[in-house]
Amino acid sequence: MKQVAYYKGCLASLSAKELDTSTQALAPKVGLELIDLESVTCCGAGDIHEAEPDYYLHLNARILAYAEATGSDTLMTICNVCTLNLRQADFMLKGDDALRERVNANLAAVGVPPYSGAVEVKHFLWLVADGEGFELLKASAHKGLKGIKIAPFYGCQILRPSKLLGFEDPDKPWSLERIIEACGGEVVDYPAKIKCCGFPIIQAREDTALGELIQPIEQAIEGGADAIVTPCPLCHLSLDAWQSKLNAQRKREGLERLKPMPIFHLAQLIGVAAGLEDSELKFKRHIVSMKPVLAKLEV
Amino acid sequence: MQVGLKIWRYSAATGDRALREYEIDAPEEATLLDCLDIVKDRHDGTLAYRKSCRMMICGSCGMRMDGAAVLACKTRMYDIAHAGHVPVVSAMGNLPIVKDLVVDMDPFWEKFKSMKPWLQPGYDEPAEGKEYVVSQERMNVIHKEALCINCGCCVSECNAMESSPEFRGPQALAKGMRFVGDPRDGATVERLADYSDEHGIWECTRCYFCNERCPKGVDPRDAIAKLGAEAVKEGIDRDMGAKHAKWFVRSAETTGWLRETELVPKTQGVISSIKEMKFAMRLAVKGKVPLPFPPHVAERVDEARGLHKLVREQGKSGYDGIVQGEHSLARLDHGLEGEGPPAVELGLETKLADGSDR
Amino acid sequence: MDAKHDVLVVGAGCAGMRAAIAAHDAGADVAMISKLHPTRSHSGAAEGGINAALGNTGEDNPEIHAFDTVKGSDYLGDQDSIEIFTREAPGDIYQLEHWGAIFTRNEEGKLAQRPFGAAGSPRTVFAADITGHVLIQVLYEQVVKRDIKVYEEYFAWRLVENDGRCQGVISWDLMDGGLKVVGGKTVILATGGAGRLYRATTNAYACTGDGMALALRLGLPLKDMEFMQFHPTTMYPSGILITEGCRGEGGVLRNATGERFMVRYAPTAKDLASRDVVSRSEQTEIDEGRGVNGSVLLDLTHLGAEKILDRLPGSRELAMVYAGVDPIFEPIPVRPGAHYHMGGVETDSDGLTELTGLYAAGEVACVSVHGANRLGGNSLMETITFGRRAGTAAAEWALANTTVEVPDAVERDAERELKELLGRTSGERPWKIRDELGSSMLDNFGVFREEGKMARQIEIIAGLRERYPGVYVEDKGTVFNSDLTQAIELGYMLDLAATMLQAGIARKESRGAHSRPHDFPTRDDENFLKHSISRWVNGGPELSYKEVRMTRWEPEERKY
Repeated sequence: MKQVAYYKGCLASLSAKELDTSTQALAPKVGLELIDLESVTCCGAGDIHEAEPDYYLHLNARILAYAEATGSDTLMTICNVCTLNLRQADFMLKGDDALRERVNANLAAVGVPPYSGAVEVKHFLWLVADGEGFELLKASAHKGLKGIKIAPFYGCQILRPSKLLGFEDPDKPWSLERIIEACGGEVVDYPAKIKCCGFPIIQAREDTALGELIQPIEQAIEGGADAIVTPCPLCHLSLDAWQSKLNAQRKREGLERLKPMPIFHLAQLIGVAAGLEDSELKFKRHIVSMKPVLAKLEV
Repeated sequence: MQVGLKIWRYSAATGDRALREYEIDAPEEATLLDCLDIVKDRHDGTLAYRKSCRMMICGSCGMRMDGAAVLACKTRMYDIAHAGHVPVVSAMGNLPIVKDLVVDMDPFWEKFKSMKPWLQPGYDEPAEGKEYVVSQERMNVIHKEALCINCGCCVSECNAMESSPEFRGPQALAKGMRFVGDPRDGATVERLADYSDEHGIWECTRCYFCNERCPKGVDPRDAIAKLGAEAVKEGIDRDMGAKHAKWFVRSAETTGWLRETELVPKTQGVISSIKEMKFAMRLAVKGKVPLPFPPHVAERVDEARGLHKLVREQGKSGYDGIVQGEHSLARLDHGLEGEGPPAVELGLETKLADGSDR
Repeated sequence: MDAKHDVLVVGAGCAGMRAAIAAHDAGADVAMISKLHPTRSHSGAAEGGINAALGNTGEDNPEIHAFDTVKGSDYLGDQDSIEIFTREAPGDIYQLEHWGAIFTRNEEGKLAQRPFGAAGSPRTVFAADITGHVLIQVLYEQVVKRDIKVYEEYFAWRLVENDGRCQGVISWDLMDGGLKVVGGKTVILATGGAGRLYRATTNAYACTGDGMALALRLGLPLKDMEFMQFHPTTMYPSGILITEGCRGEGGVLRNATGERFMVRYAPTAKDLASRDVVSRSEQTEIDEGRGVNGSVLLDLTHLGAEKILDRLPGSRELAMVYAGVDPIFEPIPVRPGAHYHMGGVETDSDGLTELTGLYAAGEVACVSVHGANRLGGNSLMETITFGRRAGTAAAEWALANTTVEVPDAVERDAERELKELLGRTSGERPWKIRDELGSSMLDNFGVFREEGKMARQIEIIAGLRERYPGVYVEDKGTVFNSDLTQAIELGYMLDLAATMLQAGIARKESRGAHSRPHDFPTRDDENFLKHSISRWVNGGPELSYKEVRMTRWEPEERKY
């Protein structure tokens, strides 16, 4: 079993609890032992990075420091935004001695263990798309997806900027597709899978965000997908919870309602293929009903 | 070497559109631009595209290759040709196409001009008609924004602009930061107020396509973040985007975790939130609206509060907070970093599942 | 006429924009015509820096700068103009900085100045190694601030002469198609150089000598056309420039044995000798078999990553993309390439040509401040100082005169020629002639010249000029017809090549960039301390000579 420090982030702690429970239930099946972090906060998302960037750096340094303190060499994230934020902070600190010294001095002043760059931040997706994790995933997906059509949605911050993430080619990613197929599903490919769901501006600029959000949903529907899968709970929230807003907008414009598109968290998709319980997967928490696709899986 | 190209031909005058394929013989060191020259000279003189310097500085030759904006003169064809791949070349996105690979840059320049992109001197006068005395370190704040060659690659791929064509966009906003960060410019506050409007800073969707596509390392998304940081620092924070961002800060230093439920009224105001009641109820019945009370407080949140206090005292506020990390992150650009992300696998799958080109 | 203005500037690079700004600030209604959007102009590719005797780095003053320029010109420069140039340069630099130009700073926070070729004192103000880019940006910002009209992507085709004055320009509108006539009480040519005459050049595609050819065809004299500067450090085969600033920061040139050969050729200045000296030294090393695949090596490896990333990041990227080497670890293969044309349209120190109402500034002009060879960093300064002077002078004259008229005959003439060119449906595609021109010029009129090769080149050019009328344009459309404009550019280049060769073969000496080591290896002040003057008469070049204006400095032996 590979020990990893587990950083679940804000959404998985609260409104996207289903992601946390699925991940925790799935982890041992793919060879991951999740170590809880002693104490952490929100990573700040793009918001603290944009409002108080020095604070963003410190919050993330603190998370990295507590991850290091577990003794693990890997900090596992389950959200695109957390991944980018933590990796960026990590690179900022690694390459600048003076900056690292100042931040460590501040951490020490408030009682946080020091940051020394000993952990690498990896999204759960990366741990199971390749290597040992992938082998275990294949082995565990015994129930399979029975050929249902899944449209992968990467979102932005698991791919770009690629110099900070670098797991796969940002224009031709393959990890979600590989997992879908390994679990027995059929991939629905479409251009908007690497575009933005609009979540960062879904409140401040709703119309603009909806203009982005419509693209993956429409294209997935056109491709005949039974569901979309995404590795980011923020993308999940907009894809799932904001479908109703898309339909409200379409109603105003005199257009037809969209066919409802169920949205899987990555851990749920693998989980259902691995036979996890409904109490662990918690599909009932979704806004768009998962029933149609679950029916196809005879779950 | 043999190079195959598929080029989207288009005429705005007639509306004709067609994907034409060309097979040419090109030298091994050829760039995409060199290949276009060979096509135009020897195969089809009607092909239209812009070019000038052929050394990545004039910004003329922005175009899309396999759906992603590049500078044609920077794109070496050797690996592509030897892999047997035939790329699809098309005009940049988000701008009207005039002919083939030539776009109408007027909307681009209009947005650029709307930023008032000239130095507006303040009250400090340089001594005896000589230069302003400014340290190199202070000028380094706008080091990256100064690299911009106005090529349009960022604008081509901007997701927010695609959805909202009036969004000022990464190039214009990066140019805005060039002035906001210039110590000789005296109009910082006016600029930030101007750039915080409906189609300014807070409409950026943070998709990072601009950073990814920019051939010069400007990182426009970071420039926009710098503007946001400075705007918040100067108290120019009426925009919902700014309020949204500030609530994250408040959350982190009070409960550690994002106070999700209060995020809506804090961003949109109480009245607007009331209008969202129906939407909110739908989420609430699924348990997606955590009760703000009792607050979900992180362990040892006093550390987060303490850090905030120290950070405030140390004054790396505004764009300085982002600039301070650039020295370190630049090492990733330079390719000198021993550690850093693993090498990117450049796969060549460009067909969609139905067999059509991307 | 489609429009008219007080001052019409053709070309929107550094010289053009600076002239337009000056004319605007003098109260004139000014417009620019440019075949490219202004920020695409080739001035933006300049890298190393811009010279002015600011004295921020050691002792310096305009006299020393003037002497360096005179000596650098191999005593062919007009000294009165040079004195004006070096005296006004510092003020012009400060003006640019006040407008917001982002220059590199020294430890005191003042404008840093780096050493450059043949400079007695470090006086090259710079912005890392993208100085031209920074200047283009600041000038364009000032153009936008003043809301100066730019006829963008208008390809200038004819200068209008009427009533003993230049009164406008006829252009091909690249975006919409069709000829457009724009009248101007005065016209300023700022169209840059003609490096594209050579296959190996640092110049952009756009540098085809348009303004020089237009002036030539109008009957105006071009001066010193045989003097084309070959920049010592260009990459193969692209010709892309690696700045002199690399040597300014401490880089050195080595041959195949690793020897720093410039120590032999220029014991004092070594790698920072005058450009013509360095190019000749390199060519000699290559010709005598001490090159590496036809190049020499520019070695920056001893500078260290920090310095290169700080001062020369652009050069590093260029080397990585176009030569496949990282200069932090490996030397860059370089060789001489056509770079800057010292010759051009003859003007006085205010940019005024022989024709009333017609001015010229920048590389297109020959004042002459550069004589037989230009110092690195002086060209950017020239565009600013003489751009300003020409803009001011043109505005003053325009504001004192009221009429503008373009005769119908001129318009009809241009239309007829256009119809003829577009009407051809078969013949030769221009690229063949263009390639043959470029290769033969490099072979026969490059760094080293001699009688036999020049005579052959004259024949070759005559042959190409005979074929040119048979060239056909494949694109008959009106929208973005660059096939048409590229064919016209070729015509310009062929005429200019003829003038260059005539002047070159007649100059029986070696001076500056005109080097004849086999037949006339020394400088001959007695017979050739004079400018070549080329005019177009009866469809061909005609050569005469003109005195060099000397004020303070008598010609001396030129050693570095």
